[in-house]
Amino acid sequence: MTETTLAPAPVEIQKGWGGQSVRRKEDKRLLQGEGVFVDDVKRHGMGYLHFVRSPYAHAHITRVDVSAAEAVDGVYGTLTGEEVAALTEPFFQISSVPGANVKDYSLAVGKVRYVGEPVVAVVAETRELARDASELVEVEYEPLPAVIDARRAQDPDAPVLHEEAGGNLMWSGLYSWGDLDAAFAEADRVVRIPELHFHRFNSTPLECDGALVEFNRGVGQWTIHTNNQFPGFAAIMMGPAMRVGLDKLRFVTQDIGGGFGNKITSHPQLVVCCLLARKLNRPVQWTEWRTDFHLSMSHGNERWFSDTEVAVKDDGTLLGFRTKALDDAGAWLRYEPLGGVIWAQVTPGMYRWRHIELEFTQVATNKAPVSPNRGYSRMQHLWFTERVIDIVAHELGLDPVEVRKRNYVRAEDMPYETPNGCVYDSGDYAAMLDLALELVGYDSIPARRAAAKERGRLLGVGIGSTLDSGTNNFGQSRLINPELQFSGNNEVATVKLDIFGEIVVTLGTTPQGQGHETTAAQVVADILKCSVDDVHVRAGHDSYWNSHAGFSGTYASQFAVTGLGAVKGATEMLAAEIKKLAGAVFGGVPADALELADGGVRIKDDHDAFLPFMACGAIVNANNAGLPEDLDVTLNCRYVYRPPFEVPDVERKFGNLTLTYAAQVHVAVVEVDPETGAYEIVDYAAVDDCGKRINPQIVEGQVMGATAQAIGAAIHEVYEYDEDGNLLTPNFYDYHVPHSLDMPPLATGAIESPSPFTPLGTKGMGEGGGAGIHAICAAIQDATGQVVTDSHNPYRRVWQLLQEGARA
Amino acid sequence: MLLREVEYAKPGSIAEALELLAANEGARALAGGQTLINVMKARAASPDMLVDLNGLEELRGIELAGDGTLTIGAMTTYSELMRSAEAKARPILGEVCATIADVQVRNRGTIGGNVCSNDPTNHLPPLMVAVRARMTIAGAGVGSTEAAGSGGVGSAGAGAGIHEREVPAEEFFLGVYLTAVGPGELLTRISIPAGRKDGFAAVTLGTDGTCICNAAASVNGAVRVALGCVDAVPVLVTADSPGAVADAVRAAGLQPPSDVHASSEYRTHLAAVLATRAAEEAAAR
Amino acid sequence: MDVTVTANGTTYARDVEPRKLLVHFLRDDLDLTGAHVGCDTGNCGACSVILDGVLVKSCMLLAVQANGASIETVEGLAEDGELTPLQQAFNEHHALQCGYCTPGMLMSATALLRENSSPSDDEIKKALQGNICRCTGYWNIVEAVKAVGK
Repeated sequence: MTETTLAPAPVEIQKGWGGQSVRRKEDKRLLQGEGVFVDDVKRHGMGYLHFVRSPYAHAHITRVDVSAAEAVDGVYGTLTGEEVAALTEPFFQISSVPGANVKDYSLAVGKVRYVGEPVVAVVAETRELARDASELVEVEYEPLPAVIDARRAQDPDAPVLHEEAGGNLMWSGLYSWGDLDAAFAEADRVVRIPELHFHRFNSTPLECDGALVEFNRGVGQWTIHTNNQFPGFAAIMMGPAMRVGLDKLRFVTQDIGGGFGNKITSHPQLVVCCLLARKLNRPVQWTEWRTDFHLSMSHGNERWFSDTEVAVKDDGTLLGFRTKALDDAGAWLRYEPLGGVIWAQVTPGMYRWRHIELEFTQVATNKAPVSPNRGYSRMQHLWFTERVIDIVAHELGLDPVEVRKRNYVRAEDMPYETPNGCVYDSGDYAAMLDLALELVGYDSIPARRAAAKERGRLLGVGIGSTLDSGTNNFGQSRLINPELQFSGNNEVATVKLDIFGEIVVTLGTTPQGQGHETTAAQVVADILKCSVDDVHVRAGHDSYWNSHAGFSGTYASQFAVTGLGAVKGATEMLAAEIKKLAGAVFGGVPADALELADGGVRIKDDHDAFLPFMACGAIVNANNAGLPEDLDVTLNCRYVYRPPFEVPDVERKFGNLTLTYAAQVHVAVVEVDPETGAYEIVDYAAVDDCGKRINPQIVEGQVMGATAQAIGAAIHEVYEYDEDGNLLTPNFYDYHVPHSLDMPPLATGAIESPSPFTPLGTKGMGEGGGAGIHAICAAIQDATGQVVTDSHNPYRRVWQLLQEGARA
Repeated sequence: MLLREVEYAKPGSIAEALELLAANEGARALAGGQTLINVMKARAASPDMLVDLNGLEELRGIELAGDGTLTIGAMTTYSELMRSAEAKARPILGEVCATIADVQVRNRGTIGGNVCSNDPTNHLPPLMVAVRARMTIAGAGVGSTEAAGSGGVGSAGAGAGIHEREVPAEEFFLGVYLTAVGPGELLTRISIPAGRKDGFAAVTLGTDGTCICNAAASVNGAVRVALGCVDAVPVLVTADSPGAVADAVRAAGLQPPSDVHASSEYRTHLAAVLATRAAEEAAAR
Repeated sequence: MDVTVTANGTTYARDVEPRKLLVHFLRDDLDLTGAHVGCDTGNCGACSVILDGVLVKSCMLLAVQANGASIETVEGLAEDGELTPLQQAFNEHHALQCGYCTPGMLMSATALLRENSSPSDDEIKKALQGNICRCTGYWNIVEAVKAVGK
């Protein structure tokens, strides 16, 4: 069942809050500069932290001397790798051997392995003084050769980053489903693609990482004000490393200036702040500067797909493929090698081929450590499948639209089990493609192409279809390491009535602009039959609220399912309790004779019998004498949402890895200047399907944001290194982030294919899946007539493609 | 992101500014700050003293003489130039300024600062060379002309012991970040002769972004094109017509740097293309 | 060095090092934490404020350069919590998500609307070119400013 809408539905009163574009509650404070971001938090006597960072990509540390720095008046203290090695255990490694043997500490111990790696921390009275004093820290290095290109990382003479791992191989696995031999036998031909390359970049949230950490000596408790977006993960990593129980680590977040996955792995720096807060007996404040972020934080996975072979029929039917994926993890495994399995959530992309083999190898290199970036690991794989479609179409001389429609998983196939046991819950990709083509005026393309030619421009149109798999089954981690004891997922919400009847919602999530306060209020208001204005949702996250669980945080496209699922569960619990209480107060009326309405509860057949929420709250909290002894009502309901998952079959690498599959189909129209290779996007359409949309305007905002980031990555954004391991794009001057003038005209559309698997029919959709990158690659291929094999196509590369075409 | 310690002075006259610059070896002039402050944040350069020129009204303003010569005070901001009625006498100036950075930068960044910082990717150095600008440098140095104290834009006032010398744009740019303005000296004004047949073409990082390659052209009978981004200083080529410009560029034997944005080969190619486009634009005006 | 500034109508006198950036002075010394730091190179515009009527990036000015100046920051826009038409338009058009770029965007839009009360799409985009947003893609921001311009 789908519904096609070209624009968000207009606001309807009294028809339920779900589905309405309710204005955001978050905005009032943010618009007035009254948001509380981590650098806004101040504490008396706090010390400012500055990291001394490695200038070498690879080197032994032969001497560290902090005495000159510590002698400066106003410097409170320092922390070295040697201290860290004494005070902490290495971080838990997700990987099996050899990656499991890596010893990862929060400061460099013995060696540095990438330019920008934190080596020493200095804390001082002012920011400037900490910066000055850091220049007085003496570190001596013995430089070593570095390995920068992942394709060279397993050469016999390659420099080895982690001796304990025995080489730069961190993890490898062979995935194979179906019967490839049969597929290649049945094929009319084999399309061979020697190399495809997905480049290294990330989402550069405008606010960098940061923390203000206080240590309560008396109870041994740290309060970590931070903008880490996955406190559940941070706690699991930090507790054992610091040799403390997780309840000693209180995470507090409020407003976060963008995350996009890039604020998941700040735990090493947080450990440094914690150790220093304890050592110096004062709060410690850390602000990450833009350059620090570019040098050291959360680069996205760079991945090569080599020796790809695709079994195809002459009519464009795709039977299967094999490929070798090489993934560059950078210097440390912080969330990796989960990228080595997470791609498998979308193994066949959006297509019906059944015979697939992928050999995945992840290596370490002397570059910034990789960790989740919007679209994490699925984006790379989906880009690969889209490239395959377009290259097959190119080689066979077929229309990319037709090849897609011939091979897309169809609406009638849903729910669709993929070759590795994932279940695509719902969707109609062909309908989305038709809508996107209509929005971009596809029929007028031939005329526009001719007109562009008159002006000396090459016009190209390209499709990018993608999936946003959401709500992870963490059991997939066992495909990386069978010893791991993780599976399933969870999120928590607490909904209560206060004494005066105020509805208070506490989430376990850590929103960075996704509008959780607003959408949660919509769900609550629909169940309690009140106004969204009556629902107060606490801003941010605080471990002390005890409204979180092991996987709490905001990442991996899941809030609409896990977060709102928890909110729904907690609110329904509360609604049931309200009725139970009212039933007792009304003298024994059964729950099914009662209904919630008008900010209270009443008997269905006698509206005069009405108990406002205020009365309910007051009775339970302050006026409870005389209530029946067996009345089990607290009006403070905590609910843990648990998605329905099984532990995957580790042997067959088979099982459902994600609960929902939102989709996006984009079409980009570009005009290339053949003399320079410069190009602009002249038209663009983006269609999304994320099931039931609680707040269509917020959903559209996420689609727009993902589109803009994809455009930036496709054309401008890359983390490129020189041969010595120096990052050539360490700030916004060289790493060009698109601004308002860089954006094309945009038409958006949406359809809703509700998920049959989720509490509200919603699907997580915040990541998007990089459809813009896929579409722009396709458009450049169409414009130039040259096969595009790289995800990053700045003007110089397009010019090169044109040169190759001219030479051919 | 955090500057080293620095002293700060805000002189009330050009003479005072020159005195401060001459007396303090590590002193640098602070114009718009849109480049220098960033350089200091990165600690790539850390002057001991900043001599803030923003209080010097004598360095602001644009005058249009009867013969069409424009005199632009060095501390004129890009925004001021864009708004100036006088500057419209040579439209290319405002047009190019409008493509530099963004509103905030244009509100503080100055013509003089752009020219004196001489970053190879800057817009104004090649433009100044193309339009045959002449730079007036003031200082207490020997061998320059005593300032007449004309009282015009960028003028120090008579009897102040200030000497001025005029340097044509072609001789003003000496190396990366290096110009003819020496220690203890200041660029005070730029004179631009009359003309309207100008063009400018660039390939940039994003719309109106940093230049990967640029070219400024001026037509006065022959074609005069100054190339930016291809060497430490603007490279001047001349040709009889726009159609001959590409060959002239190729004959110049450019060996541009390679960097993350462009290879030497690509830059060389762009130079020829952009030079031709700038020349065609100039010829068509 | 002594610095006296008027920010949003209130006068402050402080003693600061010459090297202190205006954005840090606003945030750390005056507790006006609306202006944000998002980059090292003056590109992102999150620190944008209006100084003596001119839109500037406060990360490229020294606090001492603002001596005697009148500064407007995002905190000065709404009076008594009453959102201005521009702020309301941002809310209506979903022109903010994480809110980190928003103070700078609002100051840039405010400066634009003072000069041009009915800007076109292109004029709005040009005016906001110095403000980076990673969340919205700018389309809704342009719509919001255009809506106020009517």
